[in-house]
Amino acid sequence: MARLNTRWRAENTYDAIIVGSGITGGWAAKELTEKGLKTLVLERGPMVRHVVDYPTATTDPWDTKYPSGRLPPAELKAHYPVQDRAGYAVTEYTKHFFVRDDEEPYTEAKPFDWIRGYHVGGRSLLWGRQCYRHSPIDFEANAREGIGIDWPVRYPEMAPWYDYVERFIGVSGQAEGLAQLPDGVFQPPMEMNCVEIDFKKRAEARFPERRVTIGRAAHLTKPTEEQIALGRGQCQHRNMCMRGCPFGAYFSSNSATLVAAERTGRLQIRPASIVTSILYDEKKGRADGVKVLDATTGEEMEFYADVVFLCASTLNSAWVMLNSTSKRFENGFGNASDQLGRNLMDHHLGVGAQAEVPGYEEMYYSGRRPNGIYVPRFRNLGDKATARSDYLRGFGYQGGAGRAGWNRKAPGFGAERKTALTQPGPWAFRLIGFGETLPYADNRATLNPAVKDKHGLPTLTLDVSLRENEHAMRKDMQTAAAEMMEAAGFKNVHGYDMSPNPGNGIHEMGAARMGRDPKTSVLNAHNQVHECRNVYVTDGSAMVSAACVNPSLTYMALTARAVDHAVSERRKGNL
Amino acid sequence: MRVGMNRRQAFGGFALTFGAVSFGLTTQARAAVLGWAPTALTAEQARALDAAAELIVPATDTPGARAAGVPQFVDRTIGGWCDPAQAALLRSGLDRLDTDARAAGGAAFADLAPAQQGAILAGYEATGSAQRLFFSTLRDLVTTGYFTSKPGATLALRYDPVPGAYHGCVPLKTIGRAWAT
Repeated sequence: MARLNTRWRAENTYDAIIVGSGITGGWAAKELTEKGLKTLVLERGPMVRHVVDYPTATTDPWDTKYPSGRLPPAELKAHYPVQDRAGYAVTEYTKHFFVRDDEEPYTEAKPFDWIRGYHVGGRSLLWGRQCYRHSPIDFEANAREGIGIDWPVRYPEMAPWYDYVERFIGVSGQAEGLAQLPDGVFQPPMEMNCVEIDFKKRAEARFPERRVTIGRAAHLTKPTEEQIALGRGQCQHRNMCMRGCPFGAYFSSNSATLVAAERTGRLQIRPASIVTSILYDEKKGRADGVKVLDATTGEEMEFYADVVFLCASTLNSAWVMLNSTSKRFENGFGNASDQLGRNLMDHHLGVGAQAEVPGYEEMYYSGRRPNGIYVPRFRNLGDKATARSDYLRGFGYQGGAGRAGWNRKAPGFGAERKTALTQPGPWAFRLIGFGETLPYADNRATLNPAVKDKHGLPTLTLDVSLRENEHAMRKDMQTAAAEMMEAAGFKNVHGYDMSPNPGNGIHEMGAARMGRDPKTSVLNAHNQVHECRNVYVTDGSAMVSAACVNPSLTYMALTARAVDHAVSERRKGNL
Repeated sequence: MRVGMNRRQAFGGFALTFGAVSFGLTTQARAAVLGWAPTALTAEQARALDAAAELIVPATDTPGARAAGVPQFVDRTIGGWCDPAQAALLRSGLDRLDTDARAAGGAAFADLAPAQQGAILAGYEATGSAQRLFFSTLRDLVTTGYFTSKPGATLALRYDPVPGAYHGCVPLKTIGRAWAT
């Protein structure tokens, strides 16, 4: 037995183990393997090979099983009641990239939409691809306002890592020279359509502090040699991204980071591997590896490494740590601060305004742009002119203009109606606010041993709600959008607030925040667990504040930076 | 209201009804024999559907619902997509089409003249009609089935699976029709 164990250990020891293969796991894999480490990626779901495993990527509308690819109501109700709260996400084209809610239970102390996919690549296959940097004011806000704790990093230190990540993933966008939304390494921007150009002109004239720009999105508009060498190509404007892109034109783990990692010859990916805990060696005072439950066979096994990267997504990394209890860590791994699972944030959205746009009936567009326009934050920028007395922080808008298609409402029947529907319908314009949510200690995830999943593992209870600051901001998000559309001369302008649940932004953040003080944070300035130097956590759980911008770019930059630190520390014998 | 009028018409005399049916034989909306085998519907329901679908999206300079296989699409959707309440609504609505057609014109819906068929559907669309929800549900399905069919997407609309470039500002006349996707 001892000899068997010795042999297992020898055969299953790596330099590094990464838990999760999504947007940060993929980055950790690329960086660790390129820096020479023999690396094991453990993914709880099945393998998804780039292109080969995108079964619906080129399905024509007439080859779907269901009307417009919408799933039968009975199937949505039985298997995707939570996933379907995203509204657009789970279809015949994409359902294989989403969890079945009946197989992955969690408890909603208050309504929380936990929308996720368990497979190699994770949500990097499904993300919105919008890429915005946190700005200097985002990294300083908590300290300046006395909210939560201070970020242990500042923008100048992050900037080169943003550069590094953008150069590799490819971000199309327009430089704007705004302090609140730093420019980056951009490939050529996508075009705005006629109505958006007009909106930009009129809204900026009326509101000089507001800028309208094209979305910054991880689509290749002019691939670099490095990207072409990885097998990636230019965006074909199909806008079928969530099915997986056969051109590798949008960034995902599958199309880019895992490909780069694989090419080093130092990567091993093990799908169907649920990491249930971090193994802690009390004598050495460091992590020894991880414990895995094979999702297919139900077998339990251990894998060993010098350094462990938790990249399982905010809630699942928190789950692994909460479930990793020992004599040393009675209330969860590295949780002396009792901050593990706390300060959960999401972007609050589903609020804004929409309008009809007359006057462009003769104009149209060609191609399907997988991107919209963006209005960077224009509130509370640190000067008097933008200061609000009713709330802290700010929001940005995503949105755009488009013409209604054949599926618009049309009364009657017959040839006249048919002919009308073969022509594009009226132009409509919409802005959707993405607001910053503050960190609240009692917005939290806790381990729930009473509810077990199909493997008999404990599950999470999520207790998250918006507070006064967010509600006050939402009013402004509606008003400010409407006034821009009025200024643009649009018709039937009306604000809306769909009041989605927390989680609906699908930007869970903050369950294992970084900080300077081990008493108030789980991770240090390099995403290293304060209490266990060879474990790094680099997904959204590390976030100290949410800012109002889409967070994936920051996760990726933090991950690349953390790997650099880990490899250098390992070399020095400090892990 | 239109339904009531049609019923009165039905009482008006056999000759009128017969004449209408004869006229119906020569029209496009009439399919005496169904060219496909329904899986979720009865043969009678399928015949009524076949006629109603072609009335909702008729052949014009581009193919209509029948040539695009929309009746089969609706049959498939009733059998494999709809929840039981929706399926029941569509089935009973199709039955009612025949009942109303017999009352109005003395023949199954598929065997009526297009004008009579149209009058029945128009009656369904009127406020207060018991068949209003059935008709709007059927119309949505037929419209979806048509514009997502190959003829609907590629001939009635413009379809480009791989556009390549995106151009934000293009005169509509250079494209001519709405995009299918």
